[in-house]
Amino acid sequence: MTILVIAKTTLGEALRKKILNIFLLVALAMIAFSVSFAYFTYREELTIIKSMGLGVIAIAGMFIAVVLGINLVPAEIERRTIYTILSKPVRRYEFLLGKFLGSLLTILINLALMTAVFLAMVTWKNHWQPDFALLKGILMIFFQLFLLSSVAMVFSVFTTPLVNFFLTSAVYVVGSLSDVTMALSRGEDKNPIIRGLYWLVHYLVPQFANFFTQNPLIHPEVAIRNEATYYAQNIIYAIIYAAVLLIIAILVFERRDM
Amino acid sequence: MAIAIKTEGLTKTYKLLMQKEPVNAVSDLDLEVHEGEIFGFLGPNGAGKTTTIKILLGLTYPTSGKAWLLGKPAGDIQVKREISYLPESPYFYEHMSGTELLDFYAQLFGTNGGARRQKVEDLLRVVGLYADRHKPLSQYSKGMLQRIGIAQALVNDPKLLFFDEPTSALDPIAHSEIRDLILRLRNEGRTVFLSSHQLSDVEMVCDRVAILNRGKLLKLGKLDELLHGGSVEITADGVDAATMEKLRNLQAHVATKDNRVIISQQQGEGVNQAIDIIRAAKGQVLSVVPLRRSLEDLFMEIIREENK
Repeated sequence: MTILVIAKTTLGEALRKKILNIFLLVALAMIAFSVSFAYFTYREELTIIKSMGLGVIAIAGMFIAVVLGINLVPAEIERRTIYTILSKPVRRYEFLLGKFLGSLLTILINLALMTAVFLAMVTWKNHWQPDFALLKGILMIFFQLFLLSSVAMVFSVFTTPLVNFFLTSAVYVVGSLSDVTMALSRGEDKNPIIRGLYWLVHYLVPQFANFFTQNPLIHPEVAIRNEATYYAQNIIYAIIYAAVLLIIAILVFERRDM
Repeated sequence: MAIAIKTEGLTKTYKLLMQKEPVNAVSDLDLEVHEGEIFGFLGPNGAGKTTTIKILLGLTYPTSGKAWLLGKPAGDIQVKREISYLPESPYFYEHMSGTELLDFYAQLFGTNGGARRQKVEDLLRVVGLYADRHKPLSQYSKGMLQRIGIAQALVNDPKLLFFDEPTSALDPIAHSEIRDLILRLRNEGRTVFLSSHQLSDVEMVCDRVAILNRGKLLKLGKLDELLHGGSVEITADGVDAATMEKLRNLQAHVATKDNRVIISQQQGEGVNQAIDIIRAAKGQVLSVVPLRRSLEDLFMEIIREENK
């Protein structure tokens, strides 16, 4: 109950954040304007709209998740709103989970709005034939952002928003290059210690790259083998990884002086 | 008398980067606050008042020592149902209205729908914000924010209230209303732990006070007893210059007014000696009036002595 009360307040505040609304509006405008690429062939046009739409949703979602996540706890401490909340019968983990849930709901609402416009544009350009397969891509983007939010959350309990911004962004970039870190860890011409480091980075940093499923969704000739298993594995990976990060965040936050 | 707050050897030490010696924000603090009293917690900036309050509320952990509120360890989730806190210069979620904010805090106590709505309305009336209940807090003045802060501190009918500078940023009328409210809370049997720089307020409402400086407790006691023991003013007639000189030798302050001599002497044996000198010189003692020190005098005296 307490978690939901805090989540609702976090959502209410986040939906009024100007910076997040600007990200959303720019993203919606870009998705809507993607239909103006009328000088390509029909198939190319549709591919561009799908590609651009999914890309814009992923990038805007990433910005929204990071900006939200890095401010979740520091803003409450800086404004001292946390004092009146934690002096009431609210456990620290309830506060943290409430903030996290509130940020997830904000991401979900933003994603839903962008998805609605995106699907509408695709349906329009596809002779009013909706392509619900694209929702699989949105689902993957949501779980990628879920994981990214938990990364931002764990840093937010002990760093400033600015430091957190760079840390979370760095983790996102490295995690998005997990194919590269995997290849580097296998490079036989390299020093074994360096290969070991790449291997460690590959497995320690969340593998955000696994959630980029735009390619098979946009290009019918590219297919994922055992699609259901692939999606299920990545969703379970995101949930377990985020759970571990949240447990770490709670343990650190429990011992922190306010 | 039941104990509302108790601390034993409470210490909070901060290790700062680039500084070899740790800083003692609170040092070996032993304190007992009785149920049903208004307890003044005084000290200059950086004395450790807010750190102590934060430890008592479970927001900060002590380096050593222990604290209990209403018989339970500080920070206990059950005890938080019975306490409340108004921080200094409170800030609340600006997107909310007064009603929404109080509703939010009431929900944290699990208060249900109908009772919650009634409670919120009652509190808005108590703090005089009923007419502005639908305005977003971003449009509230500092004084209004302070009032809504006080309202949130009353949302759970607490037994023990922590007020950190509750009258700062208030106009004189609101200031007086908050003072009356604090007295009313005490009359209802609640305990108020009042940290304030407004010494005149503390002097008016508090039963006992503690004075802190640099994390150390310097003085603790009943206000009446602490302020007692100041100087005595003796008014006498028929005192000649030689007698006045003898009185000055007692370290007394001697002045003349309307052909009368007014002697200010610290309480104690010096007062009797001064009276004896006047009588021996065939002077007439007209009045002996003990003067009560103000809390400000006491506070300044203690802090200056400590800072020497």
